[in-house]
Amino acid sequence: MPNPGQHQRHPHPPSKAAQIGGALIGPAFLVLALGMFMTSRATVLPNAPTPVVQPEQIAPVPRRTPMSDPPTALIAGFEQRCNDCHRIFESTWDGERTLEQHQDIVINHGINENCFNCHVRDDRELLVLQGGKTTTFSDVTTMCAQCHGPIHRDWRRGVHGKTLGYWNAELGPQHKLTCTECHDPHSPGYPHYEPLPGPNTLRMGDPGAGHHAEVEARRNPLRRWADDAKHNSHEGDDHR
Amino acid sequence: MKLPVHKSSGCGGSCGSASNHGVTRRSFLRRTAGVVGGSAAFAAALSPLMDIPEEDRQFDVKKFLQKHYKEMNADEMEAALARVREDVELRYDVRPEIRDIKPMDGVEFVYALNLSRCIGCRKCVHACVDENNQSRDPEIQYIRVLEMPRGTTDIEQGDHHYDRPKVPDEDHYYMPIQCHQCANPPCVKVCPVEATWQEDDGITVIDYDWCIGCRYCEAACPYWARRFNFTTPTIPSDKINTEMSYLSNRPRHKGVMEKCHFCLHRTREGRMPACLEACPTGARKFGNVLDPDSEVTQILRTKRVFVLKADVGTLPRFFYYFDERDPFAQSVPIPGAPS
Repeated sequence: MPNPGQHQRHPHPPSKAAQIGGALIGPAFLVLALGMFMTSRATVLPNAPTPVVQPEQIAPVPRRTPMSDPPTALIAGFEQRCNDCHRIFESTWDGERTLEQHQDIVINHGINENCFNCHVRDDRELLVLQGGKTTTFSDVTTMCAQCHGPIHRDWRRGVHGKTLGYWNAELGPQHKLTCTECHDPHSPGYPHYEPLPGPNTLRMGDPGAGHHAEVEARRNPLRRWADDAKHNSHEGDDHR
Repeated sequence: MKLPVHKSSGCGGSCGSASNHGVTRRSFLRRTAGVVGGSAAFAAALSPLMDIPEEDRQFDVKKFLQKHYKEMNADEMEAALARVREDVELRYDVRPEIRDIKPMDGVEFVYALNLSRCIGCRKCVHACVDENNQSRDPEIQYIRVLEMPRGTTDIEQGDHHYDRPKVPDEDHYYMPIQCHQCANPPCVKVCPVEATWQEDDGITVIDYDWCIGCRYCEAACPYWARRFNFTTPTIPSDKINTEMSYLSNRPRHKGVMEKCHFCLHRTREGRMPACLEACPTGARKFGNVLDPDSEVTQILRTKRVFVLKADVGTLPRFFYYFDERDPFAQSVPIPGAPS
């Protein structure tokens, strides 16, 4: 049986260096393998921090609790009906608050800045309608609609405003929020909110497109990791 | 090529006659070192498999043999739900109420979003995470809110990472984007295993046990609405929403896709989606477009609505509108009003 190895070995024997080199290939692989085995789990990219959101920040409730019928106010720690006081105390026409009650009310409702545009002077538990008619606090939308007709039409269609509960009233209770469950009637403009934390995924947004490059850099875990590495190496320089 | 066979170990007396067999001490050592080194290198190449966490290495026969969602009969579905229940209990130490909820008859869901009212507070984003058992570390969010400069609807100019002390900013408007539940969904077309499909009520769903994680759907979606679980989802036990359904918010595993499903475990029972309930301004509207009196139908009939990237032909069921009134809106009767 011919042996191919013999043909090579005898006519041209390999040099000493090649023999040593050949013998080292195996151990070299072994060392490399060990090295890979030890280091393969060393590099883990950190995740961006999980945003913290309090349950009450996302609670599915109306923004505010409006006055119901009969309307009451907390006066000196007691629930008082409006007329309990207003039977006795006459109010000025211009919204001047001479006593210490209702000082927290800020009127910011455009040209509609007089109390008796909406409140009935003689019965403070009712609201004003056109033509000397009155209505109750729970029917506040009728009063608002006198000026805000188009919005009121949208609201009746369910286009303006918020509906909680079921998307079809036949399936379960539906609660269509009234004007004052979202808007403060004295200052109906919407307040500004502090935004909740943004996304933290890598692919979200092109750093060049946004206006906040530094914010982007902070949120991008890959970049933050690179920045940390750079920062650490600089610290090393300082110690030397 | 014929490999040299090691006879040296068992060859007894003939080992000395090296010239006969071509095995010298040197060649033996070299080959042995080569074999040992080679197998060590092979083991090292496989070593990243050691990084796979324990729960991912477990082979679940029941899961492996489980059929596709559409092929399961009632008994098989019950068995699958029991398996998922056990799996969730093992992973998160909570007992979930998991069901399979079918679409309602005569219902096609549509979403409408009023861009004049959205203030960019991101409450919807986090209400969604709270509802749908997304991974918290890293956190997966279905809804992204773009801060858009006024005067354009080019979403390339939008910024996800706005971080102002207060919103809305007067020079910007805000555009939340989530799954548009397209009537002509490109994500469904590209799925090689039919793990995602459109249901009768218009919601595109995913069978998380059938998904192979190829991410074709993620690439196909023009709205970037699909998310991939790159890591094993981490959810603190106290944050788990135990009200689950098979096709919506049951916890996912590593390596599968997920996306917004219009909270189908809520909406298929008549309730509103979580993002809508959390919205402080009422910018979000949801309902049945087949019902002429529903809020969304009223919006489609009386407002000027648009869809994102209408030119790609996906026919989204997610409509945007500004609060400009259509001059012909008055001719549309108000539901419930005497005509």
